[in-house]
Parts: sequence; structure tokens; C-alpha cells
Amino acid sequence: MSKGVLLFAFNSPKYNYYEMAVATAKRVNHFLGLPATIVTDSESLPIKQTYQFDNVIMATADKTNFRDWGMWINKGRYRAYELSPYDETILLDTDYMINSDKLLKTFELPTDFCCHDTTSFLMHPEATQEALSTYSFNTLWATVVMFRKTKRAKQIFECLEMVQNNFEHYATMHGFISATFRNDYALSLANRIVNGHTVCKEDAIPWNLLHVGKNTTVYRNTDSEINTEYTVLFDNWSRGKIRKEYLSIKDTDFHVMTKENFMELITYE
Amino acid sequence: MDTTTLITEAKARFSHNSAKAYLKDKYDSKFIVADQAGLWRANLETINFLNSSSDEWVILIDKFDNPVKVLRASLLDKLSSTYKTVMEEWHAEWTMLETKR
Repeated sequence: MSKGVLLFAFNSPKYNYYEMAVATAKRVNHFLGLPATIVTDSESLPIKQTYQFDNVIMATADKTNFRDWGMWINKGRYRAYELSPYDETILLDTDYMINSDKLLKTFELPTDFCCHDTTSFLMHPEATQEALSTYSFNTLWATVVMFRKTKRAKQIFECLEMVQNNFEHYATMHGFISATFRNDYALSLANRIVNGHTVCKEDAIPWNLLHVGKNTTVYRNTDSEINTEYTVLFDNWSRGKIRKEYLSIKDTDFHVMTKENFMELITYE
Repeated sequence: MDTTTLITEAKARFSHNSAKAYLKDKYDSKFIVADQAGLWRANLETINFLNSSSDEWVILIDKFDNPVKVLRASLLDKLSSTYKTVMEEWHAEWTMLETKR
């Protein structure tokens, strides 16, 4: 059974996702001992490539999605099932910072599809779980998805395509804003539909997805290429003043929501 | 700028609450063990139950709420060693972070 990691990376005018994917792929090789395949387009692919991906799969970027900071090419993730060259795949966001072999545990789980259903935030221990809306259910996260090539996993990705194509309809039904397409929301809906509109506990990765959120910045403790120790600085607003707080972390995977911060962390890689 | 200077210049305080939550989150996941077609948590309740029984096979509810028939001694061995290793790592990192100000 072949195993590997699949990364989708389409550069936007603001962010170089290809570069992020290269840094993440190096960490995939180092910590997980797995090959990494990239799905990208000719505009994102640099002329001189410094890193050799296991496979480079060319696709057409869907440039119809926008968020507050500009174009966000995140549509088409449903193609992961057909494009993955592996029997067992971890589909990963490019801004996920791997610092351990923890993700390998997802292959041990007795399921053919799993993703995170709970999160925690560094420096925000009391943060609540995100829901699609006040009147809907909790969000699943498309940041890390493990799937095997089975009929059910295929159905989930096919359903993801259907939800993407009818995102406005589902936004109206569930009471969230449809202006920006989010894979997290589409996955939450697709997974429920395929499981007969119920929650399937086996589809949840049994630990939290760790986010680095607002007012929080992560700094590398060393300049080594495979650094695993970080200092997290947090601006804690209290009575109109900022009180700086910090935390030291090591050997911990985390998802960096601020792209600028992620780019800083991989500058020397 | 190195991170020690950064902390000093920012006059940042070490957040013990966040550190505690971070460590709990980090090590909680390490107690998860997939074995004998079930998913388990290496906690004292499960370990003590497995220890108290003398049967070769026992049926337990796993983390997915499925009843799974397992070889008792084998699961006990796996959960006990996981518990010991993870608790030692957690304690060591906690002790180190406790000294920070």
C-alpha cells in the first residue's frame, strides 16, 4: 500500500503557495518519511525548481474565490481523490507546520476517511469550537484529511464537488455567508450527507487541530532548516492596553492562519 | 533578533495558563493507541480494568463507542507502556516550563 502527502498550491497575487508547499514537503519527507505530491498550475511553478516533488500534477486554477485580502484559490480540492497517486493519502494545507511524526497515526486509525472535528488555539485556551452558523452544526476542518481509496471516501469527495457547485444554496440552508467559498464548510456538509446526515465518530481525528490565530505570532528559536522549537508571542488586550505574553513550544504540529507569519517561519528553508 | 532578546525587549510575561493548556493538548493526543481493530486511550481507568481481570479475552467499548473483543494482556501491555512513556515526557516538559517567568 503506497502512502504519501498531497498538497494543493496555486499562487495568488499576494501569496506564494508554491514556496509554502516546498517548505511543507521538506518537513513531510523529514518527519513523516513520506513522499509529497503537489497539485499546481503553470503560473505557480517556478522556472528553476529547487525541490523535487514525488509528482507534480498540473491543474487549472479556479480563480473565482475571494476573501478580505484578495484572490484565494482554494476551490477544486474535491479532485484530491482522483489526483492522488497513493493508496493512502494525507491531504494537507500548505500552511500546516509539521514538527513531529504525529500525522502518521492517522494511518493507524480504523477508518477510510478522517479529518479534524475539534480545534484549539495557542494562547487561547478558552476558545470555543467553530460552527457553520448559530443555527447549524460544528465545522469539520479540511486542513488535514487522511483518506484511503475506497468507495465511501470517493463519495465524500464527489459530494464535496456537489457542495462546492451549490455553495450558495447550502449557505442559505445553514445560515452562513456564501461570498467566500470555504473547504471546511463544504467538507462539513459533504461528510454529513455521505454519512446519512449523521455524525460519524470514526471520521474524526482523535486530537485537536492546533491553530495559531489572531494577535499571535510564532518565531523560530533557531535558524536550522528543520527547527522544531518556537516562541509564541501574544498581544493580550486588557483595559485598553496590550500586555505581551509568551509561550515556548516544541515538537508540536500547528496550523498558521496568518500567511505572513508562515512565510517568515520558512524564510531560511 | 533571537527570541530571548525579543521576549526581553517586548517585556513579555510567560503565560503559565496557556502553557498548561498547550501541554495538556499536546500530550492528550499521545495517549491515543490504535490496537486490535479499536481505538483506545491509555488512561488509568482502562489500564486498571485490564489489570483487574484474569480473562484472556475481554470486550471493551473503544473511543468510537464500538464494542471490541481484545486480547487482554496484549492491550494492557501496550496501554501501560504508552501511559508511562507519555507521562514521563509530559512531566519533564512541564517541569521545564514551570521554571520560566
